[in-house]
Amino acid sequence: MSEENTIKDGANLSRREFLGTVTAGVAAAGVAAACVPFVSSMNPSSDVLAKATTEIDLSGIAPGEEKTFPWQGKPVFVVHRTPEEIAAMAASKGGKDPEPDAKRVQKPEWLVVIGICTHLGCVPNKTESGWLCPCHGSVYDNSGRIISGPAPRNLDLPPYHFVAENKILIGKA
Amino acid sequence: MSNNKLFGLIFCLMFSAGSAQADEAQLKRGAHVAVEVCNTCHSLKYLKYSDFLKLGFSKAEVDAMRGTKGMADPLISQMAPADELAMFSTVPPDLSLMAKARDGGANYIYAMITGFYTDAKGQTANHVFPGIKMPDVFMIAQADAAGRQGIEQKARDVSAFLEWASDPQAEERKTLGRYVIGYFVFLTVLLYFLKKKIWKRLD
Amino acid sequence: MNKIIAWVDQRFPLTFFIKHELTDYPTPRNLSYWWGFGFLAGFVLVIQIVTGIFLAMHYKPDSNLAFDSVQHIMREVNYGWLIRYLHSTGASAFFAVIYTHMARTLYYGSYRRPRELLWWTGQGLLLLMMATAFMGYLLPWGQMSYWGATVITNLFKATPVYGDQIVTWLRGGFAVDDPTLTRFFSLHYLFPFLIFAAVAIHLVALHTVRSSNPSGINLADKDNIPFHPYFTIKDLFGLGIFMIVYLLIVFFKPDLFIDAANNIPANPMQTPADIVPEWYFLPFYAILRSVPDLAGGVVAMAISVLIFAAMPYLDRSRVTGGARYRPIYRAMFYIFVIDIFVLGYVGAHPPAGTLKMVGEVCTAIYFLTFLLLPFVSRWEEKFVLARGLPPAVEAMARKEIAEAEGNV
Repeated sequence: MSEENTIKDGANLSRREFLGTVTAGVAAAGVAAACVPFVSSMNPSSDVLAKATTEIDLSGIAPGEEKTFPWQGKPVFVVHRTPEEIAAMAASKGGKDPEPDAKRVQKPEWLVVIGICTHLGCVPNKTESGWLCPCHGSVYDNSGRIISGPAPRNLDLPPYHFVAENKILIGKA
Repeated sequence: MSNNKLFGLIFCLMFSAGSAQADEAQLKRGAHVAVEVCNTCHSLKYLKYSDFLKLGFSKAEVDAMRGTKGMADPLISQMAPADELAMFSTVPPDLSLMAKARDGGANYIYAMITGFYTDAKGQTANHVFPGIKMPDVFMIAQADAAGRQGIEQKARDVSAFLEWASDPQAEERKTLGRYVIGYFVFLTVLLYFLKKKIWKRLD
Repeated sequence: MNKIIAWVDQRFPLTFFIKHELTDYPTPRNLSYWWGFGFLAGFVLVIQIVTGIFLAMHYKPDSNLAFDSVQHIMREVNYGWLIRYLHSTGASAFFAVIYTHMARTLYYGSYRRPRELLWWTGQGLLLLMMATAFMGYLLPWGQMSYWGATVITNLFKATPVYGDQIVTWLRGGFAVDDPTLTRFFSLHYLFPFLIFAAVAIHLVALHTVRSSNPSGINLADKDNIPFHPYFTIKDLFGLGIFMIVYLLIVFFKPDLFIDAANNIPANPMQTPADIVPEWYFLPFYAILRSVPDLAGGVVAMAISVLIFAAMPYLDRSRVTGGARYRPIYRAMFYIFVIDIFVLGYVGAHPPAGTLKMVGEVCTAIYFLTFLLLPFVSRWEEKFVLARGLPPAVEAMARKEIAEAEGNV
């Protein structure tokens, strides 16, 4: 083979390699893009997202009463607290996860917490002084703060705001 | 080169397929007709009031359309099906997919709405759908020329709206489609040249 | 990486398999693009399985919910419309590709000895595909879905003695209803995996007998080239063209293969004005209708699908290369293809007057093609040998004839 031919072959080879690399890159980008709709289809659909917020009418909850509402498929506890309960909670700092009561409520008479034990996700039952988790005996007070038991944290607070005097919208702060 | 012709044809197909869209104003007028007239007796159960936002209506306008119904509620007919059965001896069909469920789509709906006439016996009949149980809601059979024009416009609007309602993703689909086809044309051209290069090795 | 591959290779023939069956697999260099349709079929199968799995995450096989759940996919699931249109268009694409694949096999005589088993596994795949497509078509629970399933399950009435029992058993009720939908869904999910396994068998058979090629003769070693990179790139280019056509339909004409009546929920009390099967069943449907008797029609339709399996025996010519060197066979091939298109047209329209007669004539031509082939092919063999053939083809034909006569 003459020298000239070798050089030509070499140039051809590198051009082919370049074209091959570009084509492979474009194809790989296409495969990656094709995954997007499939992965995306497993995310919540628009009808599920429409349920991301829940409006709750508070007027039917008497002082001292607790009601549970579903929000995004999870239970939310809404407690209409009595003046005695408010006073008791304001005086206490909670247990192993101390937090002032004022930081946990927007209006002192309304406590809104997510009803899922921070230990392993059971739904605690209402007691006189707060909640007791049936699974592993975690005890929460009337501010949803952990007092005793294995749960590491206070009950979580959902984002919510008052849309009217007696109406809250859960899901949006 | 014959390849150029082929790709030219593909591009023509891509762009012509996206044309002939109803404009937004027409769809909005049609939506009003659908909500205020059709929805009295017909459901459009696969549509939600929130879908009107996609049509360019403002939130306040949709609130006015839905009245006491929720934003995420479907457009269920205002008459109860039992009452409708008693009145028309049939339950009027759901309209959400009507433009797809008839050959001719929007044209069929337009022809049906404007197809009412008074027959020899003085009864209202329909050219497109003999034996129809739906009343001539726009009273086109009795309308004079001017009235007829107004009704035809309404019929065009509501037909365009029902076509949109049967396929609300059409715009999104065509936009995405142009990118996807563009990508595959590009990739195929690359593959073509790569193929030529590789097969040259055999010469 | 090399260490891991070496570890695996000691325990499993990974590198050997890839080299032997994929990269270095010797392939005739003269294969045209018509030989790319097998690869395309495999690709469409993967599209159908993947899109199907994602659709099944949102679909509800319940007669009260099925229709609504399809609209849920179309309107509320993220990109649900895309996945559903890929699947519904994919079904048609699958048949288009497979029918082309079969037409190539028939044209070039690729079913001939020693590829009979390869051809028969392909026939099995076609039957599995037809069953899968038929069951899948019920799932949207529209009017066409419902009445299509009703008509086709009723064909089993033609079974002697036990007809009615079999129809009831297939449906799980006295009419197509919820139990039918649920079992069709279950089987529609299962069958693609059977197809996948059958494809593996098809490929083992292919790699045993190797690809046929347009020349019809067995090529010398120097004319076989490694599959990779020559045919990987050739097949990928073909795939690019296929994807452009397929996606143009998906994005711009997605309702092309969806009958208008299937956008009306199933109503067991009312049959739509004209019910037609999907385009890929139309020729067979036309044959069914062209025979006046139910049992006769069913038998004719079944034979019209199964008779392809007999091709290696019906074609008695020893001249290889299929239609290429055989003018009469080539003419028969084209007449047969046109006949199928006409049958398809007849199948899509109500059987009345002239069209009914056209259907009957085309049905007769369909079967006559197969029945005449044994006689025509022998006569044609003498004719083309007398007329002269390329030396390699003639030598092969004479050798086969001599072998056959020696055995007698």
